[in-house]
Amino acid sequence: MFGDLWRFDTDQFQGLDWFRQMMDEFFPETGAADIRSVPRGSFPMINVGSTDDAIRVYVFAPGLTASDLDVSVQNNVLTLRGKREVPTPKSESEERRPYFRRERFSGEFARSIALPDGLDADRAEARFHNGVFEVLLPKREELKPRRIEIKAA
Amino acid sequence: MNDVTKRETSQDVATRERKEQLRALLPPVDIYEEDNALHIIADMPGVKREGLSIEVDNNVLSLEGEIQIEMPEGISATYAEIRAQRYARRFTLSHEIDTDAIEAKVDNGVLHLVLPKKDTHRSRRIDVKAA
Repeated sequence: MFGDLWRFDTDQFQGLDWFRQMMDEFFPETGAADIRSVPRGSFPMINVGSTDDAIRVYVFAPGLTASDLDVSVQNNVLTLRGKREVPTPKSESEERRPYFRRERFSGEFARSIALPDGLDADRAEARFHNGVFEVLLPKREELKPRRIEIKAA
Repeated sequence: MNDVTKRETSQDVATRERKEQLRALLPPVDIYEEDNALHIIADMPGVKREGLSIEVDNNVLSLEGEIQIEMPEGISATYAEIRAQRYARRFTLSHEIDTDAIEAKVDNGVLHLVLPKKDTHRSRRIDVKAA
C-alpha cells in the first residue's frame, strides 16, 4: 500500500532509525532549521501523498478520536494540534505501578506542515480510521494537470 | 493503491520477504505490571483487528500488524515518515505468564495486551503481625 511512498526512500536501513537519530545528535544540522520544524518522527507521524485532484495528508495518531485532533489550514500551512493522554494505570491499592517501558508519546503536540499553493482549503475534509487521520485537500483547477493539445502546423 | 501491492507480489518472493523484514517498524510500547498481570500497550496506527497477528512460541511473544490504509489509485508520495507496511515487535516472556489466557484488544490503532500471571505466581500481600 505504501509501495508508492517506498520508492522515494533511498536508504535501506529502515530499522535503524535510532541510529540516524544518534548520528543527528552527534552531527547536528549546521544549517538554519525552520522555526516550526520538529524532529523527524515526532508524534504524530505524517505521510503526504498527491493525486491529480487533491493532496492527502495521513496523520498517524493512534488512540485519538475526532475530538482529540484539531486540524486547521491557514496560508497554506496545515497545523495539527491535540493532546494524547496516556492514563496512568492504578492497581487496586491505587498505588502507581512502575513502568518497564514507556515509549509511547504522551502530552500535547502541535505539528505544522507547508502545503503547495493552489489548494482549496474550504473544501477540505478529514476522517479517521484505526488511528490514522486522512486530511483531503482538493486542488484548485489551476493546479490540476492539463492535457495540452498539439495543433497541426 | 491496492493494485500496486498486488503487482509487487509477482516479484521474486525471496527478495520481497527480505525487504518486508527490513520494512517492519518497531511500534512504541508501554509495559507495566499489576499484581496479577502484565500489560503491553502498543501504538500501531493503521492496523485493523484482522491485520493483527499475536503469537506465543517458545515463550517469545510476537506482535505483528499490517498497515492497511485505503488510498486512492495513482497517489504519489511527496513526504513520508511511515515507510513500512507492517509493525513487528517481539518480547521474551517469563514463565509465570499464563500464555493461554492472554487477551488482546485494539482500539483506534492502539493495541492493549493483558498477560495474566499463573495463579501460583500472583503476588500476595503478607501481613506483618505485631510481635
